[in-house]
Amino acid sequence: MVATISASATTSRQARARRGKPIDRQWSVPYRFLLPYLIVFSIFWFWPLIYSFLLSFQNTRVNPWTIDVAVNWRRLWVDQAFHAALRNTLIVLVLQVPIMLALATAIALALDSPKLAARPLFRFAFFAPIVVSDVAYSVIFRLLFNGQYGAVNQALTAIGLPALDWLHDPTWMMATIIIAVTWRWTGYNAIIILAGLQTIPKDLYEAAAIDGAGAWRRFRHITLPLLKPVIVFALVLSVIGTMQLFTEPWLITDAQSSGVSIEMLGTYLFKQGFRNLNFGYASAIAYTIAAMAAAMAAFNLLLSRRSSS
Amino acid sequence: MKTTIERRPRAGWSLAAALLAGSMLFSGAARAADDVSGDITVWSWNVAAAALQAVVPAFNKEYPNVKVTVQDLGNQPVYDRGLAGCAAGGTDMPDVYSVENGEAEVFWNRFPECFSDLKTMSPDEGALLAKFPAFKLTELTVGDKVYALPWDSGPAVVFYRRDLYEAAGVDPTTIATWDDFIEAGKKVIAKAGGNTKFVSTNGDTSWFRMLANQAGCAYFDEKGESITIGQPGCVQALETIKKINDAGLFMSGNWDETLTAIKANALASAVYGGWYEGSIRGNAPDQSGKWGVFKLPAFEKGGNQTANIGGSALAIPASSKNPKAALAFVNFANGRPDSQITQLKASGLVPTLPEAVNDPFVKEEQPYWGGQKVWEVVLGTLPDIKPSRGTQYFAEADSLVSAAYVNFLKGEGGSAQAVLDEAANQIASATGLPIAAK
Repeated sequence: MVATISASATTSRQARARRGKPIDRQWSVPYRFLLPYLIVFSIFWFWPLIYSFLLSFQNTRVNPWTIDVAVNWRRLWVDQAFHAALRNTLIVLVLQVPIMLALATAIALALDSPKLAARPLFRFAFFAPIVVSDVAYSVIFRLLFNGQYGAVNQALTAIGLPALDWLHDPTWMMATIIIAVTWRWTGYNAIIILAGLQTIPKDLYEAAAIDGAGAWRRFRHITLPLLKPVIVFALVLSVIGTMQLFTEPWLITDAQSSGVSIEMLGTYLFKQGFRNLNFGYASAIAYTIAAMAAAMAAFNLLLSRRSSS
Repeated sequence: MKTTIERRPRAGWSLAAALLAGSMLFSGAARAADDVSGDITVWSWNVAAAALQAVVPAFNKEYPNVKVTVQDLGNQPVYDRGLAGCAAGGTDMPDVYSVENGEAEVFWNRFPECFSDLKTMSPDEGALLAKFPAFKLTELTVGDKVYALPWDSGPAVVFYRRDLYEAAGVDPTTIATWDDFIEAGKKVIAKAGGNTKFVSTNGDTSWFRMLANQAGCAYFDEKGESITIGQPGCVQALETIKKINDAGLFMSGNWDETLTAIKANALASAVYGGWYEGSIRGNAPDQSGKWGVFKLPAFEKGGNQTANIGGSALAIPASSKNPKAALAFVNFANGRPDSQITQLKASGLVPTLPEAVNDPFVKEEQPYWGGQKVWEVVLGTLPDIKPSRGTQYFAEADSLVSAAYVNFLKGEGGSAQAVLDEAANQIASATGLPIAAK
């Protein structure tokens, strides 16, 4: 990283030097501005990243810690609890993210419609959940979905449907988490997509309308293709966020206590690190999560580039 | 290939050690209690915190210059924050730390310097420790160091609502086996109707650990050297819980939700350690006279009716700024029969100090419990309780068992034996310990 910065700095310097401007003392100015940040970054980000990587090759369950290159990485392959956590996380990814992005696109289109009265109010309303602290909303969701006294089950029984055990049955726990995460993040993504919508030139729609294209065809052939980069951006953010999901399973399904819960990669990482006190293994899990998130993000970006070219 | 990594000793620890050494210089003669002064912070959880709070006035009569602050953080947060504090080299730790016996060993094994060895803190400490039963000391001892003073134990009994049982025509004295218990449960909830359930679980492993202990089985053997969860006793325990589950007797709820259900008359019994007495009494004072207790049903008629769940100890972090006052408080709360009885009265914490077990209060009739001599029933089970070892791998084993257990109750994973054998394999791959021969 540092190498690329200095490399690009030199090339631009040479370029500017060729243009015959004296810049010798100025090139370091941005770095001087960046210095405080870089110091903090290297102490609290860069060093922990390196240290965590080193930890993943150590056996941290013995005193003192010893180097044992394969102990944690081997365990990832055979650890069924890790596999279950991975499976649960992927289920949320595959179910929740597409649902949320489809909803967000629909909401963005509605918010963009000139026919909608009180647009700013609606915009705020959809964006509001993101303002609430995730701990606070998780606690509220746990109350709403309480099997015996919760408002959700009261409503279900009132319209003659069976009450569900939202917080203890694994299937419904998954549903609860998906509903909660969707509630919180849909509006946020809708605002991002709305910003994308507003960059689409209106004359394209006018031209299409003159050519006799209906609303659906205009959406299909103008809106979607032009919106694609923005949707992919939202998708990448959501994938990374889902891989790190922690608060909702931790608090809503009570993963914090030792009861029934849905283990996600984030909660499993925490438990291995801070409950079983196995920092080496937790580091290996953390690197696995990061690598998978990065791979998925890269894959998404690649896909969008492919199809748009 | 393994090589040891050299790590610099943490400055905090050496400082704490120096402080300790300093305090030891002055521990020659018996000191007047007035010399002990300063502020100490105690971390604990719900009823246990209330019990320690109840001891403070008497403690302050003897030690007027010590200000005790008891913080009720909740059970799991105490554990989580304690581990985080130890991992950070002893920062942000209290002066007195509550730890469950079953979860304790991970601390001493991974962080031998995080807590003080009580024996080195005062010359009289060894004699006090020797008074406690061996099963309480096992998990607190590493080599010749003892890291915490035993506190309470958790002899399990059935707490039950007399009125709900009577309404259904169930006589608790006729409940000899778990099968009887299930039949009784069906009657009681049929009669009570509505949301009322017979017993509660949050899906954690406490039911399994209780019944396994009753059957003489645990995750690990008593030395903590092999995995014993596939043994017949554990299988029997798991099958019994499945029967209770399939009869529809369980309500699902965590600690607070269960207490809410009790308050709302929606739970007819609770099977838990003796310490739950204080929770029921404190949570539903208006139900005074409606509750009673009886011993655990046996697996077969005439079988063992005792088990232990939970039970804790008090430790002193090495980073404590005021170890003298901390030790004075710990010794006062746990090392004196009168304080232990104060805690029993306040929160139902069952003493492990033998002198306290023989206190006349134990024989008294308890008005809240319909005049029953509750403590006689609970403490009467102590001699027959089989020891069970948590080991330093408890948290890891417990989370694996928990997942298997939940799936089994849902009807997945095959027979109880198959599920537990699978759990044993997983614990083996997580801990590197061998599975004991059946």
